[in-house]
Amino acid sequence: MRALCWEGVGKLAVRDVPEPRIRAQGDIIVKVRASSVCGSDLHLINGYLPAMREGDILGHEFMGEVVETGPSVQRLKVGDRVVVGSVVACGSCWYCRTEQYSLCDNSNPQPVIPEKLWGHSPAGILGYSHAAGGYSGSHAEYIRVPFGDVGAFTVPDGVPDDSVVFASDAMPTGWMAADFCGLKGGEVVAVWGAGGVGQMAARAAQLLGAGRVIVIDRLPERLGTAADRLGVETVNYAETDVLEALREMTAGRGPDACIEAVGMEAHDVGPTYAYDKAKQSARLTTDRPTSVRQAIMACRKGGTVSIVGVYGGLVDKFPLGAAMNKALVLRMGQMHAQRYIPMLLDRLAAGEIDPGYLATHPMSLEEGARGYEMFEKKEEGCLRTVLHPKRS
Amino acid sequence: MTSNGTRWALAGAATVTAVGVGRVVARRRRRHQPDRAGGWYVVHRGITVDRPVDAVIGFWSDRERLDRALAEWATLEQLDENRWRCVARDPAGGRTEWRAEISVDGPRRLSWRVTRGPVIQQGQVELVPAPQDRGTEIRAELRWRSGRVRRALGLTTRRDPDRGLRDALRRIKSLIETGQMIDTRHDPSGRSPKQEAATNKVREKLMAGGRP
Ligand SMILES: NC(=O)c1ccc[n+]([C@@H]2O[C@H](COP(=O)([O-])OP(=O)(O)OC[C@H]3O[C@@H](n4cnc5c(N)ncnc54)[C@H](O)[C@@H]3O)[C@@H](O)[C@H]2O)c1
Ligand SMILES: [Zn+2]
Ligand SMILES: [Zn+2]
Repeated sequence: MRALCWEGVGKLAVRDVPEPRIRAQGDIIVKVRASSVCGSDLHLINGYLPAMREGDILGHEFMGEVVETGPSVQRLKVGDRVVVGSVVACGSCWYCRTEQYSLCDNSNPQPVIPEKLWGHSPAGILGYSHAAGGYSGSHAEYIRVPFGDVGAFTVPDGVPDDSVVFASDAMPTGWMAADFCGLKGGEVVAVWGAGGVGQMAARAAQLLGAGRVIVIDRLPERLGTAADRLGVETVNYAETDVLEALREMTAGRGPDACIEAVGMEAHDVGPTYAYDKAKQSARLTTDRPTSVRQAIMACRKGGTVSIVGVYGGLVDKFPLGAAMNKALVLRMGQMHAQRYIPMLLDRLAAGEIDPGYLATHPMSLEEGARGYEMFEKKEEGCLRTVLHPKRS
Repeated sequence: MTSNGTRWALAGAATVTAVGVGRVVARRRRRHQPDRAGGWYVVHRGITVDRPVDAVIGFWSDRERLDRALAEWATLEQLDENRWRCVARDPAGGRTEWRAEISVDGPRRLSWRVTRGPVIQQGQVELVPAPQDRGTEIRAELRWRSGRVRRALGLTTRRDPDRGLRDALRRIKSLIETGQMIDTRHDPSGRSPKQEAATNKVREKLMAGGRP
């Protein structure tokens, strides 16, 4: 079959690879219909999250059709149209039982890197390097999904592929980010990053009761889309002093909750950016935490900072004093896909969330490398490229 | 809990532990031929399984299930009341044979001693209910001998048997909780056979061990 493989830092190519087979009793094989790019892939492609090997197949946000099931699979059958959570979860450890699926104990068969780096290993993630289990990804004609009954969900009829595909990752991540904020109704929520994840977080905050949502980015097209599609307020950090703007918009209080949906490759306009970038290139620090710093500084006293942008290691100049003295609540994590997907599919079917507009650039799998380039450089207003293996 | 049940339970633990340890030690031995005349080395490791103690015992008492679970790595055979024979297979296709004597020290506690095998080893396993509805703690202690030459060469680090023990405990946990072990080694990739072999070596390193 054809698959989009990582060939080294910044290099992707479509290759002929063997087809996956059922390996364990709970596996299913999914014929991929739509597979999206995600901001996390950029961290992998650019070598910021280590442990990619030449030839690894990328992709973790996808949907498709079940074509084979392992002997213990009960909930799914061949022919089902499904969306699959990016995070692999066994469904039967303590973490899964308590719906903390991205912390599953049994889904990363290669736990050494995370255990050394972080003390413990969280769940494996499909198509997400050898630190997250070494699973093949979804930018391929077929993919093996372990614990199929736990991770794959049948999709309501009538919701198009290029919309429901985001129930795999961007929607649950955005939802979790807003869920972490513990909204009671009427709060001001600021969201850093107007990518797919930030946009879904903004929508989730609205649905969970936020009074006002303010989205921060520097890309006018993305901010424009957020304003048009979701009716949020926007701040362009390249033109405005974000902290000043947020303080003013909230009459001095600061946002009640700050969601960070940018991640370790955050961009900045000031001199610290050059400093961070230089240190990161020299591997003196692994992550550029510009937007996390801002979120902490901006947040009102006693508010919540919810981080879903991905970080891998150490950060420099982390304003711990601000977080401590303002008594902030910090929440963060990889998303618990399986906890949120069924509810999100209902909301999708009911039209409460319509993520289809994120799929600005549908392309064939063969054009994958170009698709990532457009996504990374945000060309032509690209929000997300969605790849389609040829239909046979 | 019958003493027979306990024995099965702990025999399972001992055996699977031996499998893990056997694999790693066998690999190291080929490289270093360590002298085994010296003192004992000891590691303690534990893992928490999200099932009540009786369910953990149940898993091991069910001989058929245990054999099925172990099929990929080892076969085990009861020789008489206390003696067991275990043949472990390592990924390279090698075989390591063990004979162990197992004694029941209490209702949830057992110890074993390898009487014949590539490395002098003994150990203990204890099952303890975990607090807060977290299931069962499997606590294991492993002792093995290592000699002066090995020590002098700096080969006496706790790492090898430790890695094996932790790997084995993780396998047991996964088998009890999910009935399977995840393996991504055969997932498709765009690698040449040579690159795939190199990647499998890396995978092997990333599979066993972990936490410093
Ligand atoms: N926690 C999870 O489970 C999870 C899941 C999916 C994605 N993610 C992470 O979420 C993050 C966003 O993903 P995405 O797909 O939306 O990525 P994306 O690249 O499409 O969007 C990131 C956006 O952040 C903006 N940005 C950069 N620097 C900024 C700054 N200083 N302030 C404000 N905005 C800034 C960029 O202009 C861009 O629009 C990534 O780090 C990704 O890895 C996490
Ligand atoms: Zn993602
Ligand atoms: Zn689990």
